[in-house]
Amino acid sequence: MAAHQLVNDPQELVGEALEGLELSQRGRLRWNRDPSFVIRADDRRPYKVGVLSGGGSGHEPLHTGFVGYGMLDAAVPGAVFASPTAIQIQAATEAVDDGRGVVHVVKNYTGDVLNFTIAAEISGDIRIETVLVDDDLATDTSVEGGPGRRGTAAVVAVEKICGAAAERGADLSTVATLGRRVAGNARTMSLALRACTHPGQSVPSFDLEAGQVEFGVGIHGERGVRQIPVAPADELVAALTEPVADDLGLSRGDAVFVIVNGLGSTHQLELLAAYRQVTRLLDARGVTVARQLVGSYVTALDMAGCSVTLIRADEELVGLWDDPVRTAALTW
Amino acid sequence: MNDLEPQAVLSWVERFIARIDDRVQELTELDRRSGDGDFGTNMVTALTRAKAKLSPSPADAGAAFSSLSTAFLEHSGGTSGPLFGMWFREFALAGQGGPAFSTALLADAARNGVAAVRRLGSASVGDRTMVDAMAPAADALAEAAENDVPAVRALRLAAEAARAGADSTSSIIARRGRASYVGEAALGAPDPGAVAVALFFESADGS
Repeated sequence: MAAHQLVNDPQELVGEALEGLELSQRGRLRWNRDPSFVIRADDRRPYKVGVLSGGGSGHEPLHTGFVGYGMLDAAVPGAVFASPTAIQIQAATEAVDDGRGVVHVVKNYTGDVLNFTIAAEISGDIRIETVLVDDDLATDTSVEGGPGRRGTAAVVAVEKICGAAAERGADLSTVATLGRRVAGNARTMSLALRACTHPGQSVPSFDLEAGQVEFGVGIHGERGVRQIPVAPADELVAALTEPVADDLGLSRGDAVFVIVNGLGSTHQLELLAAYRQVTRLLDARGVTVARQLVGSYVTALDMAGCSVTLIRADEELVGLWDDPVRTAALTW
Repeated sequence: MNDLEPQAVLSWVERFIARIDDRVQELTELDRRSGDGDFGTNMVTALTRAKAKLSPSPADAGAAFSSLSTAFLEHSGGTSGPLFGMWFREFALAGQGGPAFSTALLADAARNGVAAVRRLGSASVGDRTMVDAMAPAADALAEAAENDVPAVRALRLAAEAARAGADSTSSIIARRGRASYVGEAALGAPDPGAVAVALFFESADGS
């Protein structure tokens, strides 16, 4: 057993973590064992649109850490880096439906999309709207019929905004439309300083040559789009931020949500310094930061590195962002 | 009476489970050449679940297929698992509440099944996937239904068509599915998903 991980049996790790989450939240949420999903157990307002997300484990606190008042009604975890099954998603959908319908927030990965699509088809009469999150600029290729951009850290903002709108009593299509507005105006770029190591293994998922940084990585321990030389933080952060700002076409007077996200083992000290640099770059463009998140929200196990997400903000979205939220990983 | 009654469908599904169990090594080997080598074990895991769900006295013609479908949808096995789940689901829905499978009903199920897989998997004939066996089998059943061929004989024709379709994948460079990542390296071996479809129709023949 690798000494650098706190692991009993790698096969049991996801279940043990879900049990721990349930215990740590002291009745605010419940882990349904079979099929596996995490659901709010507080006094959820009745007749509200359900907001549901899910995906592979290994990205904690995503998604289970965002289950609670003002955000997700339930989250469906798969095995490490593997989609949850359609049956899990269907069961969670039924559990959160009050009759006003359910929004599925889905990161764009083949397995997740397939299983959420199937779940929607076999969920019978429940009205379901899907919000696809595909913010990863590194995978922005124009391959016809290709899988498209991956979904990464912008999913946190989509879950926050959809959750807030649903909590206010908005109807199904309004919640979904807001989610799509956030997703459509979000782009992310990521880099890795060290690859991640799967539970129970001792070797990282890829090797980085000395002096190299993997640029354009996703959140599943896969390689990025290219390697760039190690450089001071400000230069690396600029390499992440500038193409994202360019792609969104940001110009003087625009406002954005900023998410500086740690990929698993990059320290908050570094993330805060990175955020400082993002604000300086945006200042130089005349772009204001409407709101921000700085921390590890969407991780790839113990990968070292970070991502920068920019999302066009407007008054309505800022209002929803500011609505109260009470979850394990996000509370205000 | 040539239609397939619930007990006959159950026997078909049991033979299919046993046959995949026998061929797990072969399927794993095929998947190693075109994918990541977990196809055989994923099939067996799902089918073991299915076996536990099978009722010894199925309520309707679709019951045994329903157990197969749910087992595949419950087991997270890449993309082929959920797609098989949705394929079998069409057979389950076609037989739901009915006393037996006629050739026409089998043709409906096969047509809807391959349509679901094509839609969800965005795969067409010639992409080197399970669709290459599902589509010709569905065509064979449709033709058999038109000519009033009895169900048992129609399923033999479907099996031949599915096998020919599976064999044809040996010479296709993949555009979809896992094998699309390895390209020409998979040439010479058939797609394991297509082979599993052929085994399914071949298992209909209990003689």
